[in-house]
Order: sequence, then structure tokens, then C-alpha cells
Amino acid sequence: MNETKKLVEIGNIVSNWELSADVNALVLECPDIVSVAKPGQFVMIKNEMGSTYLRRPFGVADVDKEQGLLLLIYRKAGKGTQELAQLDDGAPISVEGPLGNGFSFKNEGRTLLIGGGVGIAPIIYTARHLSKELDGPKPVILLGVRNHKELFWSDFVENFAEKLVYTTDDGSYGRKGFAIDAIPDILKEYPDIKHIKVCGSTVMMKGIAELAIKQGIECEVSLEKRMACGFGVCLGCTFEGKSGKRWKVCGDGPVFDAEEVFG
Amino acid sequence: MNLTRLATDFAGIRMATPVMGASGTFGFGVEYSDFLDLDQVGAIISKGLTPLPRAGNEGVRIAETPSGMLNCIGLENPGIDVFLRDILPKVRKEAPNTAFIANFSGSSVEDYGIMAEKLDVDGVDGIEVNISCPNVKEGGIVFGTDPKAAAAVTKEVKAHTTKPVIVKLSPNVTDITVMARAVEKAGADALALINTLTGMVIDINTWKPLLGNVTGGLSGPAVKPIAVRMVYQVAQAVNIPIMGLGGIATAEDAIEFLLAGASTVAVGAENFVHPDAVVRVAEGIDAYLEKHNLSHVSELVGKVKIG
Repeated sequence: MNETKKLVEIGNIVSNWELSADVNALVLECPDIVSVAKPGQFVMIKNEMGSTYLRRPFGVADVDKEQGLLLLIYRKAGKGTQELAQLDDGAPISVEGPLGNGFSFKNEGRTLLIGGGVGIAPIIYTARHLSKELDGPKPVILLGVRNHKELFWSDFVENFAEKLVYTTDDGSYGRKGFAIDAIPDILKEYPDIKHIKVCGSTVMMKGIAELAIKQGIECEVSLEKRMACGFGVCLGCTFEGKSGKRWKVCGDGPVFDAEEVFG
Repeated sequence: MNLTRLATDFAGIRMATPVMGASGTFGFGVEYSDFLDLDQVGAIISKGLTPLPRAGNEGVRIAETPSGMLNCIGLENPGIDVFLRDILPKVRKEAPNTAFIANFSGSSVEDYGIMAEKLDVDGVDGIEVNISCPNVKEGGIVFGTDPKAAAAVTKEVKAHTTKPVIVKLSPNVTDITVMARAVEKAGADALALINTLTGMVIDINTWKPLLGNVTGGLSGPAVKPIAVRMVYQVAQAVNIPIMGLGGIATAEDAIEFLLAGASTVAVGAENFVHPDAVVRVAEGIDAYLEKHNLSHVSELVGKVKIG
């Protein structure tokens, strides 16, 4: 369980820039949350000057603990994120976190990290943690994106990757198809892979989870569900696991053992 | 914060402040301990309890709406027995000084009596009878829109408890004062109003309702003027104390409810957005009392000047 105290901190925007036509990166200065945030955790943010009411969950994309900086990467999908994209440096954002439990890490074997769409964001911090902070074998990173215009992710992860593989929906870069299609070759090339961690769409995670379970590879999935609070009181994000136990994506997750969700 | 001018006795429930965390938005209270001092919370009002565990509704349960939100959680809760065995002892250990009000509903008049009796235990300071959840058939809404049924539930609960009984009213009625008078006559010690207003959002890309349960309950700042109006009307109609709620986000909002005739207030959806809201609202009321040279919060209750 997350035993770190949850905080609300006003984080000033350090930079907010466009990565592609519909994806932005946002760096906020919020040293207290950053000092305790772990890979796979999330924050709930609110632009107090904006017109939306509820906070929105964003996975922690990366942290700079020395400078107290938090990186978030978001798709400009709705009114709130479109307003967020308009904000200038210095604008205050209310950040609540760190929330939920991150990925688990074991000191054995190599990890295959898989991300799809903006679900790639938490893969960045996870990859840095594995390769730099834990000093274990560098992870293999597999990213599923729409097309060659979404290769900006390389700048964030290539230093932490043993190998970086892309699949694109249209075949405009890397292998054409879905991320799952690239997994057999990766497992053949890296038989030391003992763990898979995935963050992406439900369809993507379900397929990969089933593959991992069949192959006996430990697999964790990071779920996303609509939530109002982020800390276990609204019950917007609950689901029943395969064991029959009811879970809250926010407080018990967002990372779950793949068997409990898709097994 | 000067707690002497905020301390409130609400129908026999002693509270540090008149500001509570509303049912369904405040968990069991302890979930908020990272964000605020539970000693400064007027009362924790529990998530709605039912006779048996409930998983709640399928599909999307939360939708943002202009200045508010819709929910159709569907009373997901562990059931009253698990609450009494596992949750209440934990809450009393972590928040020993905070008043605790248990909110509950059933699907028959008898259910309400059985629940009230089970909740008649140490550690529960009052009970809130939910006859107004719009999201499940068993959430009491059938009792909340018919004055005779509401009175029957109230009588049944009163016969099975020694605790102060608060009845939470639905705004989804033609005349809320009829309901208020009916439950007052049946013996309710206090009223809470309003529960959520029934609403709906349609996704114009799929032509389907956004919420899994088709409709949901609207809360947040959008409902506040309706809630203030209803508190005002009910305050003219009954002699029992009123807990006002519906869209309270700030002390200024809460003071409107007090002036309209509520002697206490509860913060709901705002807890999701600003989890320190219950205490922040109490602090703001205290600052207002200081500024206006008032010695106790009760001096505001029902003081709206009409005509």
C-alpha cells in the first residue's frame, strides 16, 4: 500500500510545450510531491483558473528530485487539457499526490516495458528507475504509437533502454501493427526477460497480459478509469478482480497484477 | 480557528464545528487524515450503508458537468455487518473525537428498522436515513418521494434506535416542504437537504448515455442555488434543525445556507476537488464571525432578511 503521506501542492509551470499536434509535455515545480513519488504512481491536477470542476489523473511521467520537478505528458483531448495547453510558464497548478501504488521491482532478470499512446508516460520514470536507480539490466522498451509523428518518446527513454522498439498503426515507422505483435521476437532475443509492465489501452493490456500469463512471465498492468477523487472515497473507479475482491483503481492500483485483472 | 464559537449541538449530536463531510463524498472519514485534522471536522457522515454488501452500478460512474458532476455509483459499500465489525472500530481509533453519523438505506420499511437497531451502538453518534439515493431502486428513493412512505420509514427507524435521527431528503419532488413536514411529524430529530438532483449526459459521438446507469445524481456548485432555496422553504415549514448541503465549496456558500435556516452544513463533491474543504469552510465561517463581531455561529441561523 501507499504509505507516503498524500499532499496538495501548488506547482508553478516551468515549461509546457507541444510534442506533437495533440500531445503536450508539462513540467511543474512541486518538490514535496516529487521527493516521494514512485514509478507508476499518479497525481490529480487542477488548473484553478480553468473552467473544469474536477481534478484529472495524470501518471507521473518522470521526476527530477534534485530540482523538485515533475514531468507530465498529456493528450489535448478535452476542454481541461486544451485549457492547460494554453497556460504560460509560471502559472500555478494544484497538484495532489503522490497517489496509488507504483510498479513493483524485483532484483532478478530483465524487464520489458510496454506503453501505448499517452500510456507511455509512466514508462519513462519506470525505465529510468530500472536502469539508473536500481542499477540492474536496462529494460527493453516497446512502444505502440499511431504513426511516425509520435517518435518524440525516444528523447525521453532512449538513454534508459537496452533496446527501443516501436510499432505503428500505419507502418510509417518500425513494425506495422500493435505492440503485442513485436513481443515474440523480443522474448526470443532477450530470454532473460522475467517481468513485463504495461500501460496503455485496456484492449492492448488485455492481450499482452494473456500472452504473459501463458508464457509464465510476471506481468503488471497500469489501469486508467474515470475517478473524481483519486484517494478512495468517490468509488468511481472500482472493479471486481478475478479473485472476487473489489479494488479501487486509485488507492489499490493503478498498477495491478495482470492475473487479477485479466487472468 | 476559535472552536468555542463554532461548537454546535445538532439534534443532540455534539460537533466541534457545524461543518461535516457529506455521505458518499467523505468515505469513512479516515481517508482524509493526510489532508486535514479530523478533530476539526464537525462530523464524518459515512458512505451509505445497506443491509448486504453492494458492488454498485456497472459502466461509467462519474461525469464532469458544468460547475459540477454526475455520479451513479449505486451505493457500493461493504454492507452494515462488515462496517460494524471492521470499519467502525478503525474509525473510532483514528478519529476518537469526531462525531460519526452513519448513513444507511434499505429496500423495505423493515430493513430500515433492522439497520437502525444494528447501528444503535457506541461509536455512532447519530444516524442519517437515506430515502433519497437516485441511483438504485433499493436506495430509498421510493420512500423519499412519497410522504406516507417517508413517514413510515422514519417511524420505524425511531422505534429501533436511541440515536438522533436525521432524515435526508430528495430534491426530486414537487414540494420538498410536504416531505419535510411528513418526516417531522413522524418523529425525525433533524433533516438533511438536499441529496443530488437526477441528471443525464449524452455522448453525441456514440448517441449513448455517458453514464452506465443512464442517469445519475448531480452535485457540485451547479446545484447550490436550488439547495439554498429548498433549505429556506423547509426552514419556514418545520421546527426541527436542518443540515444544509448541495454545492458548498467555500465558507461564503456555507453562510448562505446558515442564513437560509440551516444550523449545520455538509460539504460534498468539493471534498473530491479540495480534500481540506471541510476544515477550510469552518475556518472561513470563523473568520466571518470574527469580522462581524458575532460570538457564535448560531447567530446566523435563519437570519436572512426578507422584505
